[in-house]
Amino acid sequence: MALISMRNIEKRYRLEMADIQALADVSLDIGIGERVCLMGPSGSGKSTLLNIIGCVDKASAGRTIIDGEDTDSLSDSRLSDFRNRTMGFVFQSFNLIPVLSVFENVEYPLLLRRLDSRERRRRVDEMLLKVGLAEYGRRSPERLSGGQRQRVAIARALVTAPRLVIADEPTASLDHTTGRAVLELMVEMNGKAGSTLIFATHDPTVAEFASRIVTLSDGRVVADREVA
Amino acid sequence: MRNVMLAARNLLRHKRKTFAVLSSLVIGLAGMVVFQGFLGETMRGFRDSMILSGLGHLEVAGREGYFEDGEYDPYGYALEGSEAISARLGSEPGVAAVFPQAGFIAVAGLGEVSTTLLVRAYPANRMHLSPLKAEAKAPIDRFTLGALVAGTPIRDGERDRLVLGEASARILGAKVGDALTMMTVLPGGRLAGRDFTVCAIFAAAGGDKTFAYTDYASAADFLGIAGPPVLDVLLKDVSYTGEVERSLPEGVAYRGWKDLATLYVQVNSMLNGFLSFIRSVILLVTLFILANATNRNVLERMREWGTLRAMGTRRRDILLIVVLEGCLQGLAGASLGIVLGFAVAGLIDVAGGLGYSNGIQSYSIMVRPGLDSVWLNLVPAILVAGLASILPGIRALRPTPAECLRQA
Repeated sequence: MALISMRNIEKRYRLEMADIQALADVSLDIGIGERVCLMGPSGSGKSTLLNIIGCVDKASAGRTIIDGEDTDSLSDSRLSDFRNRTMGFVFQSFNLIPVLSVFENVEYPLLLRRLDSRERRRRVDEMLLKVGLAEYGRRSPERLSGGQRQRVAIARALVTAPRLVIADEPTASLDHTTGRAVLELMVEMNGKAGSTLIFATHDPTVAEFASRIVTLSDGRVVADREVA
Repeated sequence: MRNVMLAARNLLRHKRKTFAVLSSLVIGLAGMVVFQGFLGETMRGFRDSMILSGLGHLEVAGREGYFEDGEYDPYGYALEGSEAISARLGSEPGVAAVFPQAGFIAVAGLGEVSTTLLVRAYPANRMHLSPLKAEAKAPIDRFTLGALVAGTPIRDGERDRLVLGEASARILGAKVGDALTMMTVLPGGRLAGRDFTVCAIFAAAGGDKTFAYTDYASAADFLGIAGPPVLDVLLKDVSYTGEVERSLPEGVAYRGWKDLATLYVQVNSMLNGFLSFIRSVILLVTLFILANATNRNVLERMREWGTLRAMGTRRRDILLIVVLEGCLQGLAGASLGIVLGFAVAGLIDVAGGLGYSNGIQSYSIMVRPGLDSVWLNLVPAILVAGLASILPGIRALRPTPAECLRQA
């Protein structure tokens, strides 16, 4: 059964009097537990597609159904709740909140869910232990290395046990070794949680971690293949 | 709660930047607090000196008309039962003194020279003249009519003595010990005349041109009145006014100090208006500075807004965070400004206040901002800072999360 079903997705931008077609007639089904890598050169539409899947942007045309919800029909506040309930995000630049400690960054999505403090603490402690940062809870993210920051971001993305994890160029700001370590962690944690992982990259070595590779070019899906 | 926490943390994120933005508010409000303390104390001094220079906290008369045209007509407005009223008021805990007053117009002559005088009469022990050019320290149970230039004030039991204003003395060429012939018109048009001995000459800012004072017993005898037209009531503090007013017997007419000290009320209201205007200017400047700074701050943090929204934060919470940050900035800036203002005021007080002399008496004006200056400055500052954040807050929530993340 597909967790994500996209039909005839189009995305157009208007940039300085010119219409830019970022996505054209994209149709895609992604199942539960898949590890999908969106590949393609810069400007191919990877991030735009990821944004639409992540409900942080709207398609100009087409229909997207995620976890049974027609996301285009949801109001802005229901969409916010939906994102919090269903998704976790990992960004290229980590996007940790600098005024919050490591613990508080990971705790933030749980605060939005209004979980009681004991449950929040239990989940955050468990997640920090899994990403190997149990001792770093009180530390400011600004005092962490790039790899550590990305691990905090992974903990934050997974702490709500989302059905879908979206990662946009998760290793682009990291060196090769750290990048691989971070991806291994993501894949491992994702596998244990049974959630669907979709990540975008233009680095073929990163794509090795996917079970399926969707290649985009000029806003169109040009290849979609399962990998071992 | 999480929004308050985020807002508070963001405020402390760039302490120097925050302080730089808030400096106008801090300095402006500190100045306001000092200025407010200075004006408040000046106006309190002005009020008390007006009350104690002959107005009284309360004037109790027999009829309402006294306050319109009876001030120098001791015959038309006799106060019935003045002794009983005086005894009743005297037993009130907030009352410092109750005593009779009579005013009349007389022509005073000395040799070939004569002038018209407005004469006020009080019991001798309720008239006070302070030493010339000394610091004014008025007792609260009597009127301080001015500064003693020459002679000695009227003592208890002395009769037919006159304390003459400096300007009047100059016009008449009178000096201490001279006998002035005083003439006044009695009811029915008869003239009464009597010699009054000048026992003292006083100076008062503006009051020594026309005024002279004598003791009430001599005046009553001279005028042939059985009782006073009015009782003056002095209180231990203005805060007792309402309480004492309520204890007045029915049927009497009275005026409180606010009605009597009209000049004070007008000046006070004008200065309060002026203060409000200055405060508004400071807050308006702060509004523009904060709106501009918050706007820049919001634009610099677009990625943060995008991240928060991607995690599920609603638009209204983003607006709330920005506005809360503004309010907290206002709270911090106003608090610092108020604390600084109180500190400066305290230093001025420790140094003995600000000296002032009108050539007759000198005063030390203290700078004592009241507690009202806390909320008068704090509340508008918080509101203005919150208001300044609304538009930048709307700017933060308008783009989609993806647009916010792209703008990083």
